[in-house]
Amino acid sequence: MKSAIKILKEQMQFFYLVRRLSVYELRSLTSGNYLGAAWEIINPAIQILIYWFVFGFGIRQKEPIGDIPYFQWMFAGILVWFFINSSVMKASKSIYSKIRMLSKMNFPMSVIPNYVIFAQFYPHLILIGLAMLILQFLGFPISIYYLQLPLYIVALLVFLFSLSLITSTLTTIAKDVQMFLQSVMRMLFYLSPIIWPPTLLPESFQIWVKLNPFYYIVEGYRYSLLGQGWYFLENPLYTLYFIVITALTLMVGSYLHVKFRSQFIDFL
Amino acid sequence: MENTVEVKNVYKRYKLYKKKSERLLDLIVPHKEYGEDFFALQDVSFNVEQGSIIGLVGINGSGKSTLANIIAGVIPTTTGEVTIQGNVALIAVNAGLDNSLSGRENIELKLLMLGFSKKEITEMEEEIIEFAELEKFIDQPVKTYSSGMKSRLGFSISVRVNPDILIIDEALSVGDKAFAEKSLEKMMEFKAKGKTMFFVSHSISQMKKFCEQILWLEFGVVKEYGKASEVLKNYESFLKEYQAMTKTQKKKYRTDALNRQSMKTEKML
Repeated sequence: MKSAIKILKEQMQFFYLVRRLSVYELRSLTSGNYLGAAWEIINPAIQILIYWFVFGFGIRQKEPIGDIPYFQWMFAGILVWFFINSSVMKASKSIYSKIRMLSKMNFPMSVIPNYVIFAQFYPHLILIGLAMLILQFLGFPISIYYLQLPLYIVALLVFLFSLSLITSTLTTIAKDVQMFLQSVMRMLFYLSPIIWPPTLLPESFQIWVKLNPFYYIVEGYRYSLLGQGWYFLENPLYTLYFIVITALTLMVGSYLHVKFRSQFIDFL
Repeated sequence: MENTVEVKNVYKRYKLYKKKSERLLDLIVPHKEYGEDFFALQDVSFNVEQGSIIGLVGINGSGKSTLANIIAGVIPTTTGEVTIQGNVALIAVNAGLDNSLSGRENIELKLLMLGFSKKEITEMEEEIIEFAELEKFIDQPVKTYSSGMKSRLGFSISVRVNPDILIIDEALSVGDKAFAEKSLEKMMEFKAKGKTMFFVSHSISQMKKFCEQILWLEFGVVKEYGKASEVLKNYESFLKEYQAMTKTQKKKYRTDALNRQSMKTEKML
């Protein structure tokens, strides 16, 4: 608890730095390509098309999900997954890969995973903007339900940061964690309501799939973008579950991070 | 004069594991030790007065860089204390630059991380570029730089941020003579301003010219600390002796020392 408060204070105090550093991080990531940051859009676009082709066009034979056409349904959910996946993976190796460069700096180390996540956040915002634009023409115009979107965005950022405190610490200690995470994320992709609706599962199974906190976020995004209702109000217990999980993750993450951060450099 | 750096009974222990499983067990199993201890530094204590210039000498593996990194606060000590008045800048050959960013972006990034504001950064940027003599290369990615260019850039940034204590770890041995001269001049300027400096180098002639005091490390232990002329004389005669040794003698000398380094001493708590 103590460490969690400490970490949160550090984030607030150095938020200016998080913002500035994330810009350089993004530049560093995209500097080698001719198209630069455009790849942050091109890549998702290609993936969306292939998933739509295989799952929507091929397997489901264009059959809608409930009363939502497959493409729109998948699109509204998958766009947040790109952000989730890249920030989980990049943040987990952030400390390990940057510590040499940053070891002697005037800011706390907990800022590192945070700015790496933020670097992924800008392309995500652009993607959301594009999605809103595209959905206008696909039968899902702007609605009052857009108002809940910032809620899920903030919830997701807090959760990703909390999670990154755990994963970045563990990755620094044992690099195997990165490999393990890769498999877990691949698994979660199929276990989240992204390319197929888990409502197809037997009733008793569905509750287990919902333990995955990303389920909540993906559905939240979908409800906002497609105007399906107020997700967090309609599922108060699930919202509570998400908050509890996030708080727990933050506490465990902060504890681990604070405990090990002075020794990170010795683990290289 | 006041002490700017106080190093007191510093030990730095590293663990040597024979197998990967040992490392894992050491992490997981509480109250039980796995692997072999290795002390990169043993009971190192010394004080440095403000404005003095200290040279760190010793053969390879004596712990010079470890000590430099500990003073800079990059790596933590195992036990012991380091007290420092003022801010420290460490200049090493791999100066911690982001390879895929340009030289200019690296300058901005470094200064940003050191806590300078946007306005200060733009002010300092031009001066740094000029001092580093990078001209049109400044907007090229750092990965295309030669090692000399990289260390020039690292050195110029560190010097410009005006630290109270400067640690130079072999960083000048890569630049050409002209730049080395220029850097020495800059350091003389710092000396005149009363800044404390540490110098890690294998070049005894550079040390003679520049340092007032020498700390001679041997296999993690302080062998001698005192006036430059005296310590360097002893160090040079030791080097001659060491070079004159036969292969087996050298080996014995090293293994004896290494054995000392893996023993726990009583003093360490």
